[in-house]
Parts: sequence; C-alpha cells; structure tokens
Amino acid sequence: MVCKMGTNMAKSGMMRCLSLATGTGFGLAVTGGQAFAAGASEPGLPQLDISTWPSQIFWLIVIFGVGYVMMAKIVTPKIGTVLEDRRTRLDGDLGKAREASAEAAKIRAEYEADLEAARNDAAAFARKAAAEAAEKAASVEGKADKKLASKVATAEKKLASAKAEAMENLNTVAAEAALDAVKGLTGLKATKAQAEKVVKAAAKAMAPQEAN
Amino acid sequence: MASQGMHSPVEQFEIKPLIELSAAGFDVSFTNSSLFMLLAILVSGVFLMTAMRQGELVPGRMQGAAEMMYEFVADMVRSNVGSEGRAYFPFIFTLFVFLLFGNMLGLIPYSYTFTSQIVVTFFMAAFVFVGVTLIALFKHGLHFFSFFVPAGAPKVLIPFLIVIEVISYFVRPVSLSVRLFANMLAGHTMLKVFAGLAVMISGAGGLAMAGSLLPFLALIGLTGLEVLVAALQAYVFTILTCMYLNDALHLH
Repeated sequence: MVCKMGTNMAKSGMMRCLSLATGTGFGLAVTGGQAFAAGASEPGLPQLDISTWPSQIFWLIVIFGVGYVMMAKIVTPKIGTVLEDRRTRLDGDLGKAREASAEAAKIRAEYEADLEAARNDAAAFARKAAAEAAEKAASVEGKADKKLASKVATAEKKLASAKAEAMENLNTVAAEAALDAVKGLTGLKATKAQAEKVVKAAAKAMAPQEAN
Repeated sequence: MASQGMHSPVEQFEIKPLIELSAAGFDVSFTNSSLFMLLAILVSGVFLMTAMRQGELVPGRMQGAAEMMYEFVADMVRSNVGSEGRAYFPFIFTLFVFLLFGNMLGLIPYSYTFTSQIVVTFFMAAFVFVGVTLIALFKHGLHFFSFFVPAGAPKVLIPFLIVIEVISYFVRPVSLSVRLFANMLAGHTMLKVFAGLAVMISGAGGLAMAGSLLPFLALIGLTGLEVLVAALQAYVFTILTCMYLNDALHLH
C-alpha cells in the first residue's frame, strides 16, 4: 500500500513538474498504458478509463452549453447593465456637479464685481464728500479770517486814536501843570502858548527813549 | 489493507454513475462528475444572480464580489484581446466561472473535482483550440499561415522555425489541458495521501496518535495551497484562452 502510494505520488509529482513543459503527453502515454493493462477494477488512474469519456464529454457539452446561454443571456447582461447604469449615473452626477460648480463660480465672480463696483462708488463718494467738506471749511475759515482781520484793524485804529487823544490830553494837562508850577514858584506869568511849546518839545525829546 | 477500509489516493477520481443513461450506443450516464459540473454552473449562476438581484448603485459585499468577478474577466479580455474580444466575453466569463467554481467545489470533502478529468480539460482545450483556429481562418483566410513564419528571421532558419512554430501551435491544447488536469490530480492526490497517512498513524494507537498530528498539520497547509491552485489554474486557463484568441484575431 505504502509502495503504491509512493509510486502514485511520484507520478503525480512528475506530472506537475512536466505540466508546464509540452512534453507531458509522453508521461500521460506511459501511465495510460499501465492503466489499460491494469484494467478498470485495479487501482489505476480512473481518468484513463475511456469507457467514462463519452458520458463526461456529453454532459460537459450540455451543461457548459446551458451555462453559456445562461451567462450570455441573463447573468452578464444583468451585471453589465448595473455597471453601465452606475457609470452613466456617476458621469451624469459629475456633469451636474461640474455645471453647478461653474454656476457657483459665475455667481461668485458677479458678486465680486458688484462688491468691487460698490467699493469704488463708496470710495469716490467719500473722496467727493471729503473734498466738499474741505472746500467749505476753507471758505468758512477765509471769511472768518477776513472778519477777524477787519475787527482787529478797527480795534487797532481805535486804540491808536485813543492813544493819540490821550497823548494830546496829557500834553495839555502837563502844560497847565507846568504853568501853575511856574506861577507858584517864580510868580512869573507865562503864557499858555509858551508852556505848551515847552511841553511839546519835552515830549518829542522823550519819545525816542520810549520807543526803545 | 485496502479491504480494511483504506482507500487508494486515486479512488477519489472514480466516475460513479448516478443515473444510468445511454444514447446511440454510448453510455451517457449522469455521473458524479456531471453532477458537479451542474453544481458549478448552478452555484455560480445562483450566486451571481442573487448578488445582483437588487442591482444597487452602491454595492454590498455579495454584489461587490459578483461585480469584481465580472470586472476581472472584462479587464482580462480588454487587456489581452482588445475591443474585438467583446463578442467572446460571455464565453470567456462562463469558462472562468465554470472552472473556478468547479475547482473550488472540488475542494469540499466528499465532493468531486471534474477538472481532474483529463477528458474534460482536454475537450475544453480542444474546443478553444479549434475555435480560435477557425476564427483565425475566417478572419484572415490563407494569410493565417503567415502566423507560422516568424518575422525578421534569417532565411536559412525559416524552415526549421516553421516546424517549431507548427509544433508549438498544435501542442497548445495539450499543454492547456494537461496543466489544469495535472494540477488538480496532483493536488487532490496529495491531500488524500496526507489524510490517509494521518488516519493510518492514528490507527496505530497510543503514542503514535501524536505522530498523526504532523501529516494533519501538513494537510491544513496543503488545503490552503490547493485553494490558491484552484483559483490560479482557473485564471491561467482563462488568460491563455484570451491570448490564443488574441493571436487568432491579430496574428501576433
């Protein structure tokens, strides 16, 4: 038994090795010869019992044929349809998504353009307003300056005339005081005209010193 | 030993008729092999249709798996054959699903692996071979035979190269079928050998029971490997079919 198993193993191992080479036919022929010699009842390779071949070929043709028709008419079209549907669906969805994306980009561009225009308008408006305000301010300031200047001028004039009047009065007072003093001290009688003359001269002499 | 319940590791490949039938002098009984062919088609069909029943926009796990299988084969056809391969997509898809489910179902204990039958794999490979050759002849006419003359080869070598090309062309169905058959045969034999070994050692009783753990652990690893092989060989058969179809449609 063990020996038999050994030969079978060797045989099958050899077959496997040779199976890649084209020379396997020879190996087959050898084992086939043994099997025929041994007969069906002895344990040879049952594959080489040609009495079973017609039935196997017959049922292979029938079953493979039926299987082919089933696969060709029902199974592969079914799977193919599902895959095709998925592909079209995906393509359709992708197309839709692409369209939507393009639409969104367009809307965004429009929005950006609107925003930009509004921003420009606002900037222009702000510039205009600022310019107007500046102009107004300048004109108001100019008017105020003129008013102020005229007021200052009038005030200065008034001041100057008041000063001159005061100076005049001062000279008169000084002349009268000098006259009284001369009269009291010397008893001499000086005329008013003389006194005024002297005072004027004195005032003139002092004026440059005051200016310093 | 065999009479004491120990089975030969190749006994699993035996064809057992379930319903005796005969037609035109041939035995066409419905066998365990036929049953699992039918199961492969039914299970895959029911799985795919159940998964796709809702046809949801966002697929769940089942629908995701079904769509993945479809896309996997569609990509394979698109990248290996091009847009002209569209017409052959249902056939390639059926082929892949049939082999994948057949290999996978075969890994379930007490099930049957119809891809371990050389007659099945060879008939499929021969069908592909004859099919692509006819497609090439219809499409290119006599120009098809330029396929056997490698472009740019030195004139002296051309006769030899033609011989090599012709041989390699006609070996295609053999290599295509034997690759799948041998992988399944070897894998399942190995699984049986290790399982039988584990049972045999444990049958010795006592301390030897512990020794049976070793082939059992090996069996677990091998089962994982066989799942890989089952998927890989379905893929290899399908992609080679795509390549042959591409050669037929485009002549290199």
